[in-house]
Amino acid sequence: MTVDRELTMSRAVVEAIGAEMRENEEVFYMGEDVADYGGIFDSTQGLLAEFGYDRIMDVPISETAYLGAAVGAAQQGMRPIAELMFVDFFGVAMDQIYNQMAKNTYMSGGAVSVPMVLTTAVGGTYSDAAQHSQALYGTFAHLPGMKVVVPSTAYDAKGLMHNAIRDDDPVVYMYHKRLMGLGWLPAPPGPKTPVPEEDYTIPFGKADVKREGADATVVTLGLHVHRALDAAASLAEDGIDTEVIDLRTLVPLDRETVIESVHKTGRLVVVDEDYRSFGLTGEVVSSVADEALDALEAVERVAMPDVPIPYARELETEVMPAAADIEAAVRNVQ
Amino acid sequence: MSEADRVPVVADGEWTDDVEEEEGVVVNWFAKPGRRVAAGESLCEIQVEKVSIDVPAPVDGELVEIVRDEDDEFTIGDTLAWIESEG
Repeated sequence: MTVDRELTMSRAVVEAIGAEMRENEEVFYMGEDVADYGGIFDSTQGLLAEFGYDRIMDVPISETAYLGAAVGAAQQGMRPIAELMFVDFFGVAMDQIYNQMAKNTYMSGGAVSVPMVLTTAVGGTYSDAAQHSQALYGTFAHLPGMKVVVPSTAYDAKGLMHNAIRDDDPVVYMYHKRLMGLGWLPAPPGPKTPVPEEDYTIPFGKADVKREGADATVVTLGLHVHRALDAAASLAEDGIDTEVIDLRTLVPLDRETVIESVHKTGRLVVVDEDYRSFGLTGEVVSSVADEALDALEAVERVAMPDVPIPYARELETEVMPAAADIEAAVRNVQ
Repeated sequence: MSEADRVPVVADGEWTDDVEEEEGVVVNWFAKPGRRVAAGESLCEIQVEKVSIDVPAPVDGELVEIVRDEDDEFTIGDTLAWIESEG
């Protein structure tokens, strides 16, 4: 079937949320500026008109209060979606997130489940400085008890959101601001894709091989899927054939697809917008080393250096992994 | 099909209550040429004076031509696309 319409990532997310809300009256959305404003990254655009203030709920500026409320509602059988406006703000509500949301299922011996979705905006590239530009993928993936989803295209964003809302466990759904397709923050080519009008799900823990290649494996997620594809296109001009893997979810992590690819290419480049130390790049490299050390001929990591992300555009561009950095890393492992 | 069946999608400026600017830019197209569209469906998103506005299809029909692509600028009154109407 050909799909003759394309959606931005924000609209694909909203379409999935709207469909789930129509289907199940226990689903509701709360967060800061999500009702009248429609979400500062358009994550709830248009939903208030259909569902009203009882189900699209603006909350006071207390992440502790409303994330705690979401955990309670979830334990009582509702399916809340709670938005943390910027992932950087997790600190003020970390107990609600990692002690309550992530662990109550286990602390209650399975007496309750916490079927909620924590949506949150991540990433930089637009001069928003150190407190509004982080990816923090590793922070959430590190703590047991939460599934972690990072879509890179509108098609994936819709299918993963359907799956997230239907999941009986807490899911952290991290959307990259630069991919949402906003007028004031234009997306690069790539995230806007054909999106079927009907519902569909994308299972967690299934990476997507975005481009097949025999010479190197590039593993990444979110915005950097598109930068890796740009690098791969450029490398192809020099006859270097790069495989690009979009992880799509960090928890669960599809190690099998990565290892299978490294068996083919022998060369691994892991690209992450999150900080270099104690994060995704180290995790993927060590996972491959655990299972397929013999196959591994060369490894490179491309990640945000361990510094607070600068405000100045030139400095932010300097620290943020670019397509050229990925290209150089792939050349280094040849 | 005759020219008369072609209905323009016009940046008609009906949104100008809060917006004084006469020029804008097309940000996103959601429909591709060849798509059967329903009246009221969002065809594209335009931006005027930092305000994002959805432009709906004026009639049921087939989107046959996009005149202003993404990133193209327009002036109020310009035709953004053409629809071949049904019936």
